[in-house]
Amino acid sequence: MKILSKQKLTAAFDQLAEKAELLVPMQKGATSAFLPWPEFEPGRDELRLEALNVDKPPKDAVLPQTERMYKFSASGPEVAVQEVYEISSPRIVFGIRPCDFRGIECLDQVFLTRGYADGFYQSRRDNTVFIAQACYQPGPNCFCNAMGVDPVKPQADVTIHDLGDGYAWEPLTPKGEETTEMISDLLQEKKADLPEVKPFTRQVAYAGLAEKLKDLFEHPIWEKLSDPCQNCGICTYSCPTCYCFDIQVKSFGEAGYRFRCWDSCMYREYTLMAGGHNPREASRERFRNRFLHKLQFFQERYGQPLCIGCGRCLIVCPAGISIVNIMQELKEVE
Amino acid sequence: MKDIANKIKAIAQDLLEKGEVSLFMGWEQGEFEFQTRPFFARTSQDAEKLIFNEYSIHNLANALLKFRDGQEKIGLVVKGCDSRGIVRLLEDLQFKRERLYIVGVCCPGLKDPLEAARAHSGFNPQAAPAPLAAKCRSCLQPNPVIYDQLLGEEQAPRSEGERYAQVHEIEKMSADERYRFFEEMLSPCVRCYGCRQACVACNCRTCIFDETKPQWVGRETSASDNFMYHLVKALHMAGRCVECGECERVCPVNIPLMLINQKLIKDVNQFYGPYEAGLNYVEGAKPPLSVYKENDPDDFH
Repeated sequence: MKILSKQKLTAAFDQLAEKAELLVPMQKGATSAFLPWPEFEPGRDELRLEALNVDKPPKDAVLPQTERMYKFSASGPEVAVQEVYEISSPRIVFGIRPCDFRGIECLDQVFLTRGYADGFYQSRRDNTVFIAQACYQPGPNCFCNAMGVDPVKPQADVTIHDLGDGYAWEPLTPKGEETTEMISDLLQEKKADLPEVKPFTRQVAYAGLAEKLKDLFEHPIWEKLSDPCQNCGICTYSCPTCYCFDIQVKSFGEAGYRFRCWDSCMYREYTLMAGGHNPREASRERFRNRFLHKLQFFQERYGQPLCIGCGRCLIVCPAGISIVNIMQELKEVE
Repeated sequence: MKDIANKIKAIAQDLLEKGEVSLFMGWEQGEFEFQTRPFFARTSQDAEKLIFNEYSIHNLANALLKFRDGQEKIGLVVKGCDSRGIVRLLEDLQFKRERLYIVGVCCPGLKDPLEAARAHSGFNPQAAPAPLAAKCRSCLQPNPVIYDQLLGEEQAPRSEGERYAQVHEIEKMSADERYRFFEEMLSPCVRCYGCRQACVACNCRTCIFDETKPQWVGRETSASDNFMYHLVKALHMAGRCVECGECERVCPVNIPLMLINQKLIKDVNQFYGPYEAGLNYVEGAKPPLSVYKENDPDDFH
């Protein structure tokens, strides 16, 4: 088994960062996120490989919150597209958790399958290597196993396993092999035993729920469940799978650029139509849509839920709303 | 607090049984000790679930906005800061006083369930929740200013040093330093609008940030669009922020938003005061900067 000693970790980061933009889990200021290794300031920032996860989901590696698409200029009725920004520079995401990697796989489904591949997404995705870190100690809000994720066998390019003083290094794809080559001088061949997986503390009732939800669209329970929700976008922006975006334009005189940015189904404006009609005017309708999308609609279209059990929304919701409790209540309701 | 919780439950059950309110807003217990969440009881049976504890921090006055177009009478629990939120809604003509049955609680200062959730999450091994929520460590008005029934013993205001100490620090900076300070402070903003949604003073039916024709503020998470968002929001708060601190508490990237509000409170006080928003409800009274007179000595521009 290949082993990367923790003492050689920063040397490995330096070597990888020479070949690609390297994103590592880091606490910078008040929040933690996957951030470029060269921005790491020792003494001020802290690596977060030992923490359960980082606050911000890693989805912006392939779906940035704001992404320029193309630049244009107009002259009379003619519009010329001057530059298309398809980002294809190599990037490595180091230490992503298996739940979050499943999140990336959900985005892949949306942006690359069913007859249309999104060029902006594809060019980022094709050039990004994911090194996932297996999870042996689920946290108090973790329920990835209930959502179909195996916490120690992510299908990423490389999987690493924390052995205490080093990481077992397991390349799984050709991209992963290439990345392994970049630090081959730092890897040692050794025998090692992988740790035992600690049991999950949460039981989640997802099995069979998608089917049941088909009959619950008009159920009064949505009113009660959505009562505490204040309809902000905190859950959607903290979620590794929420992928809704809007396409907007910024123009200055005759020239400008088009960009896309994350959007949130929690916002009233999200469903506002030309002419002023809003099919999801009430808070409970927006709330219901979010949970049905996660638990029913995505399952129907792609055969898996759009919740990966990372637990972030349970931590950050200002009103203490928990998707785990919601699944339970929906399961029990008649 | 147990005693207060029991009284709240009894009041709610009584009001709901007699049909005096059709809804009573309080809190229910979530899964974890710190997971206290807003709960609306519609029957006296529902009211069994009502609790009040050291994590009942949410400003329920804000939740009233969901019902502003109705006719029903609503009961709710408010602390000192939340009660100023009620005054905000009354002054802004968003609610009629007779639609409300207000149970006021003199507030000893509470804990922040979000801080506790973060510490419990395993995401940040060093996080430790403070014994009092940041917004409660400095509190001008722990006792409700408007109520139908008052619970608990009157509390003294709390303060951590001089009220505007941090604002003074920033006022002393050069323009460049100040720009860098705000750039660093506002760059992490993800524009989730959590601060807007948690704000009782943000009660516009169509928010300027949701306008698309014209679009007043860009949707990029760039320094300039983020500055615009926070500047516009701040100026709409001038003379109207009731210092409930919910915006700052809910921010998922921990932006110290109350700092901006404090500057506005200080300036409004200095130029038009003495004035503290929402401390005293007088029917028909208007906060500063919310009245326009044709014979105003200054130009409107």
